Amino acid sequence: MRNHLKYSIVAGAALLFILPAIFAQTANSSKPAGAPDLTGVWMIDHFQPALFPKGTTPPFTPWAEAEFKKADTKVNDPNLACLPHGIPRLMFVPLPMEIFQVPDKVLMYQEAGNQLRQIHMNRDHKKDLDPTYNGDSVGKWEGDTLVVDTIGFNDVTWLDHVGLPHTEALHVVERIHRADHNTLVDDFTIEDSKAYTKLWTASQTYHLKPGWEIAEYVCDNNKYVYHEK
Amino acid sequence: MTTKRFLCLFAIAAGLILASSPASAHHSTAEYDMTALTAIKGTVTQFEWSNPHAYIHIETKDDKGNTVEWVAELASIGMLSRVNWKRDTVKPGDEITIYGNRAKNGKNLMRLDKIAFANGQELSANVR
Repeated sequence: MRNHLKYSIVAGAALLFILPAIFAQTANSSKPAGAPDLTGVWMIDHFQPALFPKGTTPPFTPWAEAEFKKADTKVNDPNLACLPHGIPRLMFVPLPMEIFQVPDKVLMYQEAGNQLRQIHMNRDHKKDLDPTYNGDSVGKWEGDTLVVDTIGFNDVTWLDHVGLPHTEALHVVERIHRADHNTLVDDFTIEDSKAYTKLWTASQTYHLKPGWEIAEYVCDNNKYVYHEK
Repeated sequence: MTTKRFLCLFAIAAGLILASSPASAHHSTAEYDMTALTAIKGTVTQFEWSNPHAYIHIETKDDKGNTVEWVAELASIGMLSRVNWKRDTVKPGDEITIYGNRAKNGKNLMRLDKIAFANGQELSANVR
């Protein structure tokens, strides 16, 4: 009995210590009260290797058209070198992602290469960004929709799995919303005036996968690996 | 060894490696004949438990009695784990039948749909 009381006091003290931290986290959450919860493991509903299917023509600039002709999925796909996919391609990979919403960030933990994509909720783009594979993503809520704006890319990646090129001028806007409990939709607007003569759009639907966990994914099939530099 | 010579050797080695690759990273099903299912019975020689794709290599005999190798391409390790595959699901020496969609280029390569073990038990390789 005495021990029981002792444990209760210790547990109570521990709770008093933890509660302020929990409340602080809630108050500082990137998910405003009433905003949709995007957390969970999501998997694409169907694989779209080409964002411009056969019979459709991308609005290429002459440079981009020449680059696309050089693209060979068996030879110079940057992903063969185990490099990051970049945005938007990462969002079209046929592997699951887990979304977390934490203070100031929405995080997308991708099974593909176990990459963690950060969407910064409470800041604007930084000035003079150093180009990176996945760029600099900032997000805001517009009603039920998470609007993500990404710039600051390097020009190494492809936009899809068949070789759509881009330059460092790439600008991607995503509108992500939960169509229903089990369905997430990401609508993309892609702009790169050096590679495309006009804006174009793409969309990907994801299904919720209760019980799935993100697996370790190491790009270890090194018989594919090359490095072209 | 000069850098140039090293790079040259590296390029040749990379070329040989790429030439023997069954397929590239995540890719479409366009290179496989998705309209027909091919069944090949044989003996497992290797199970590559690897990303982005796992591979089963089997040996079988053709009409003339010659030994022929077939390669079946599977999904990634993580995706296969979700449908009950493990690194030792098949082992060298196992007699199995592989069912899948053959490569359009005529190579002895298929996109695996399922396998059947010697006792007739089947295991799907469809991950979605």
